[in-house]
Amino acid sequence: MKKRLILFFALLLALVTGFTALTTTANAATDNSLTKIEKKGTLVMGTSPDYPPYEFQATVHGKTKIVGMDVAVGQKIAKDMGVKLVVKSMSFDSLLVALQTGKVDMVISGMNPTPARRKNVAFTHTYYQGGYSIVINKSDKGIYKNKDSFVGKTIGAQTGSTMYNESKKQTSGTTVKGMTSVSDLILALQSHKIQGVAMEKPSAQAYVANNKELAAIPSDFNLSASDTSASVAFAKGSTALVNKANKSVDQIKQQNLVNKAYLPAAGKYLKTNTVNTSMFHYWKAFLTGIEYTLIITVCSVFFGFILGVLLSLARMARGGVFKTALRWLATAYVEFIRGTPMMVQVMFVYFGLGLIVNLPALTSGIIAISLNSGAYVAEYIRGGINSVDNGQTEAARSLGMSSGATLRYVVLPQALKNIWPSLGNEFITLIKDSSIVSIIGVSELIFQSNIVRSDTYRGVAPIAVIMVLYFILTFTASRILNYFERRMQHD
Amino acid sequence: MTKPIIEVKDLAKNFGKNQVLKDITEQVTPGQVIVVIGPSGSGKSTFLRCLNLLETPTSGEVDFAGENLTTLDTKRVNELREQMGMVFQSFNLFPNMTVLENIKLAPMKVKHVDDATATKRAHELLKQVNLDDHADAFPASLSGGQAQRVAIARSLAMDPKVMLFDEPTSALDPEMVGEVLSVMQQLAEQGMTMVVVTHEMGFAKSVADRVWFMADGYIQENSTPDDFFSNPQTERAQDFLSKILM
Ligand SMILES: Nc1ncnc2c1ncn2[C@@H]1O[C@H](COP(=O)(O)OP(=O)(O)OP(=O)(O)O)[C@@H](O)[C@H]1O
Ligand SMILES: [Mg+2]
Repeated sequence: MKKRLILFFALLLALVTGFTALTTTANAATDNSLTKIEKKGTLVMGTSPDYPPYEFQATVHGKTKIVGMDVAVGQKIAKDMGVKLVVKSMSFDSLLVALQTGKVDMVISGMNPTPARRKNVAFTHTYYQGGYSIVINKSDKGIYKNKDSFVGKTIGAQTGSTMYNESKKQTSGTTVKGMTSVSDLILALQSHKIQGVAMEKPSAQAYVANNKELAAIPSDFNLSASDTSASVAFAKGSTALVNKANKSVDQIKQQNLVNKAYLPAAGKYLKTNTVNTSMFHYWKAFLTGIEYTLIITVCSVFFGFILGVLLSLARMARGGVFKTALRWLATAYVEFIRGTPMMVQVMFVYFGLGLIVNLPALTSGIIAISLNSGAYVAEYIRGGINSVDNGQTEAARSLGMSSGATLRYVVLPQALKNIWPSLGNEFITLIKDSSIVSIIGVSELIFQSNIVRSDTYRGVAPIAVIMVLYFILTFTASRILNYFERRMQHD
Repeated sequence: MTKPIIEVKDLAKNFGKNQVLKDITEQVTPGQVIVVIGPSGSGKSTFLRCLNLLETPTSGEVDFAGENLTTLDTKRVNELREQMGMVFQSFNLFPNMTVLENIKLAPMKVKHVDDATATKRAHELLKQVNLDDHADAFPASLSGGQAQRVAIARSLAMDPKVMLFDEPTSALDPEMVGEVLSVMQQLAEQGMTMVVVTHEMGFAKSVADRVWFMADGYIQENSTPDDFFSNPQTERAQDFLSKILM
């Protein structure tokens, strides 16, 4: 047992060191940064589009797209470099990792150039100087004046944001609750889970303008310039790129483009956005969500199943050094996958594998979930194979069938029949668990519902819609599986 | 004398410290019907399973048609196993396939016989065991006697040179024993070489060419049925017969 553990940790260590080594080399490779972008012809901007008016999703001519003042800033930078802007969305927490691992070329997401962040990435000059407000329920307007009025109460802020850290530091007796998306925070506010949401002034203004139930109060946080300003982040060491972008940023500042042009333009999207907030209006967004959820689930079930069969066979291999090694590897793999959260696996595949090959988010998601599902399926199959009477194998072998043919034609079909209900459960679980890939920006149901939520400023309706949609999906799936299960019942 | 089809030389088999087969040297010539009898736990099944290498001998040799099975690679062993059909006490039919599919599986997957030919041959064999009307039934719907006859047909579909039977009637209700034994007798009359482990003394007396009496890890006696039943040589055999004939 002890030996096993040592082997296991050795494997783990090897994995982690390998990963770290890769990260370092990726960081070291730079300063042809600008030429590289020019050659590529595209500039990939990472952003977390749930922060109007900085960045948010809007429906333009029936298509959802990411808009906002940050996108306008990105467009200006790209245009000045003579390349095309590509906008990639992901959760705020993932942005800097994506930048460090080369998933995106720059990050513009209302990000403050704090000293801590400066250690890991390079910032341009600031393109916008904001400040903080606290959004509260209008009905509470008399009660709260600024950050100090929340003693014994809870303030919410976006996890990983400057507001979050400052709220923690500069209040006493106040609980600070972090959530990934601002729409969730607003929802928490409206359902009185929290009493205020700290966010940047323009965002607060946008929310208040679009929701009669809300009001904004000054935060009165004691802040340095770097805490209230927004900058563009590039990978550390890409000086040429930063210098080039700084020229654009300086122009933006000089001509006051943000206030004069970008914010009003973003405001227009916000207006059109709130005209029709019925869920039917967004059927296309939900349909896309269903489509991706199904693509991810079906692909992952398929590949997960193949992987599961291989793993289960490897786990049952006996004899010889090679077979023993194989068995140990498979066992270690299964234990490792089952012992780590799927969310971490998804991020590892997207950001980690991304260092070696640049995989799109959807592919990464499918790979991660297949790898995860394979480990679970392997255990089901192993149990299924063990449940088939040994006499079946002996009968097949005595007829001259090879061990492979015996497995394929005699044992596996019976094993599958025995474990069909478990496999069905796994399929249904995957429909639900595929939602995890929303963190890397795959537009499956959860992700789409978040878009609709930040789009419509309606917190609950989109959640109710996807709940029903998920149920329809899983219920249909379980009916279909039952049908096949009945067809397999011969004895 | 014709060349033996099975030759066992100094065969021994241990399960851990349990020496089940100690030293067995015997041969089977083509067309012979051997009945192996002996007390429970004496190693009859183990011996039979060593003949087609379902069990790997600890030492000694098992030659089939002149080839020493214990030295061959897996591929060749598989090829030779085709030529040794085996019928089990518990039938071991494939429950997820119809009777017809049970019979066709090995010819199609191992010998790559085409579907039409395999189907035709399967029906012939089902007629031979009087079950052609059950071709599309699933094993679960068959009686024990019917299932065992299907199992025999399934083995015969590979056109084996030898048939091994391990207590084929022990799991059957008494009224079904006869139908299985008569199929086996027919097979013997057609000249099939057979090694049969059984407690059916009637079958041994009327069908066997030789009776091998096994006890304590050895074949204690190898004689004609007449000699064995009327005049057993060893005390072990006398003791065994007195118990079962009482
Ligand atoms: N796979 C195995 N592993 C360990 N011991 C075994 C194995 N197979 C058989 N044995 C042991 O070998 C001995 C002989 O078993 P075997 O089944 O060959 O006897 P048998 O003569 O066929 O008995 P029966 O009349 O009950 O069928 C028994 O003691 C049994 O416990
Ligand atoms: Mg036995």
